[in-house]
Amino acid sequence: MNPEVHIPGWEWYYVAMYFFIAGISAGAYFIGTLAELFGGERHREISRTGFYIAFPLILLTPPLLIADLGRPERFWHLLFYAKSGIPYMNFQSPLSVGSWALLLFGAMAFLSFLDNLVSEGKLQSAPFAKAYSRIPRKWYAVVGSIAGFFVAGYTGVILNVTARPFWVATDPLVGALFIASAASTGAAAIYLVMSWRKKLTDPGLPGFDRFDRLSKVLELVLAVALVLIAGKWAAPLLRGLNAVMFWGGAVVLGTLFPLAAGWYATRAVEGRMPPERLATVMAVLVLFGGALLRISLLQAGQVQ
Amino acid sequence: MPKGMFVDTSICTGCKACQVACKEWNALPHEPGHFRFDPVEKRPVAVNFTGDSYDNTGALGATDWRRVRFIEQFSEDRSRGRWLFSSDSCKHCNDAGCLNACPTGAIVRTGLGNVFIRQDVCIGCKYCIPSCPYGVISLSIATGTVHKCTLCNDRIHNGLGTACAKVCPTGSISFGEIAELRKAADTRLAQLKGLGYGEANIYGYKEAGGLNVFYLFLDRPQVYGQTESVVVPQRRLPVSSAVAIAGALALGGAALVSFRERGSRPEDGEEVKT
Repeated sequence: MNPEVHIPGWEWYYVAMYFFIAGISAGAYFIGTLAELFGGERHREISRTGFYIAFPLILLTPPLLIADLGRPERFWHLLFYAKSGIPYMNFQSPLSVGSWALLLFGAMAFLSFLDNLVSEGKLQSAPFAKAYSRIPRKWYAVVGSIAGFFVAGYTGVILNVTARPFWVATDPLVGALFIASAASTGAAAIYLVMSWRKKLTDPGLPGFDRFDRLSKVLELVLAVALVLIAGKWAAPLLRGLNAVMFWGGAVVLGTLFPLAAGWYATRAVEGRMPPERLATVMAVLVLFGGALLRISLLQAGQVQ
Repeated sequence: MPKGMFVDTSICTGCKACQVACKEWNALPHEPGHFRFDPVEKRPVAVNFTGDSYDNTGALGATDWRRVRFIEQFSEDRSRGRWLFSSDSCKHCNDAGCLNACPTGAIVRTGLGNVFIRQDVCIGCKYCIPSCPYGVISLSIATGTVHKCTLCNDRIHNGLGTACAKVCPTGSISFGEIAELRKAADTRLAQLKGLGYGEANIYGYKEAGGLNVFYLFLDRPQVYGQTESVVVPQRRLPVSSAVAIAGALALGGAALVSFRERGSRPEDGEEVKT
């Protein structure tokens, strides 16, 4: 641990927001895929909503990433070596592999988005629909989900694979924590959109609720474990605004409270959903907590 | 043949000629002045002093590729004292965290073993900055790219030594082929041990795959601000990735038990409406 290691100076409103939005998008996408793969038609509305969310959100992220660069106009160097113009990837750099994963995820999310439009009859072009239906939906959903897990997780691995003391001390848990948070924020986004579109009719909703709770439990366990393994190097997370954001926002409001409220509201009947108004409030809190989780872990590594 | 530098801190006098030569040859901008005229007090006031002995450079960075460290060691009653100096720079690690982290191929190793940042390729993503275990690189706001010591890339590829080694008046910094420098370092270390400097040690034979710029210290490396157990960040990448994958698999398992069970018992779901 060398405290002289420089801070990168990544701005939270670009980089942490990228982590957050890419996490929701990837989470919504892999939940949509898993629900369809394991649950079939009974979860059709959940997976459709996931695919509706993923593509628009992932479109928001490249501008955030590019805005944080010192030379934004050179962003394409991430994919092509500037000297030769041929595709470039550095396998030791999560940032390099992640750029390609983001591109792959975006492409698959686009296909799934189109598929939604076609199957809901919102996109009617006979030749297109004919050609389109030849590609099996589940195939690119699986490829996209693997890329989605990568996109959700590499953002945490990026932080761990540096020499900044706080990020070294929390190694190797941040990647897994961000994946768990991607699942809980993705599920929250799916719930909110389903509620807004008045489509909370899927018979698979109780299963979805259960998955959501399991992801929150995983997130909670990882968040606490992260502080424990960091020991004295967790100090930046235990004082000031970072502590408020991490403990108050990410842990209590973002996971603990929604878990407890959900359990309390449904304790009487197994497999019942919490009332819609409560679930909506909790989903908003989960999203809020997911953003604060990313901001606090990014900023705690950048305390001078 | 890899080239590098050997910094024998035992004969450094802290004159900072190396810092000046580095700035001159590499045309690096000067630092903010140390005095500024205060319009209220109507006299110059001191600013930008670190208060840390004679070191007002503070840290290596985009415009300071060399930094002489000053370490004041005094006994409790201040009857005995020792003043240590050490000229610090990029160590051109053989397993370089910055080079490993670079997503664009902007950071390269040349045929002489030095780590060099191609300014026309760098995009300013800043990932190399926290990836350097020594805190060497930083971003220049002026160029939007990162900078660090190049080991005088232009000079050494034209048969010259580095500017800092050239100008060093005591021979504390020497430039040459690594194998020869190591021989000289070992000889000097044996000599110092013989003179009673028991704590003397060489830093950089094994750290980060071997440092092409290595040091002879009179005290523990920590005293000179050099980290004693260097772990190149990318060596932790396999475990970090494996744990992230385990997290993804755990979620996959959670999805399997959550979604499948409900799907296989259709009669349950029918009664459940929110």
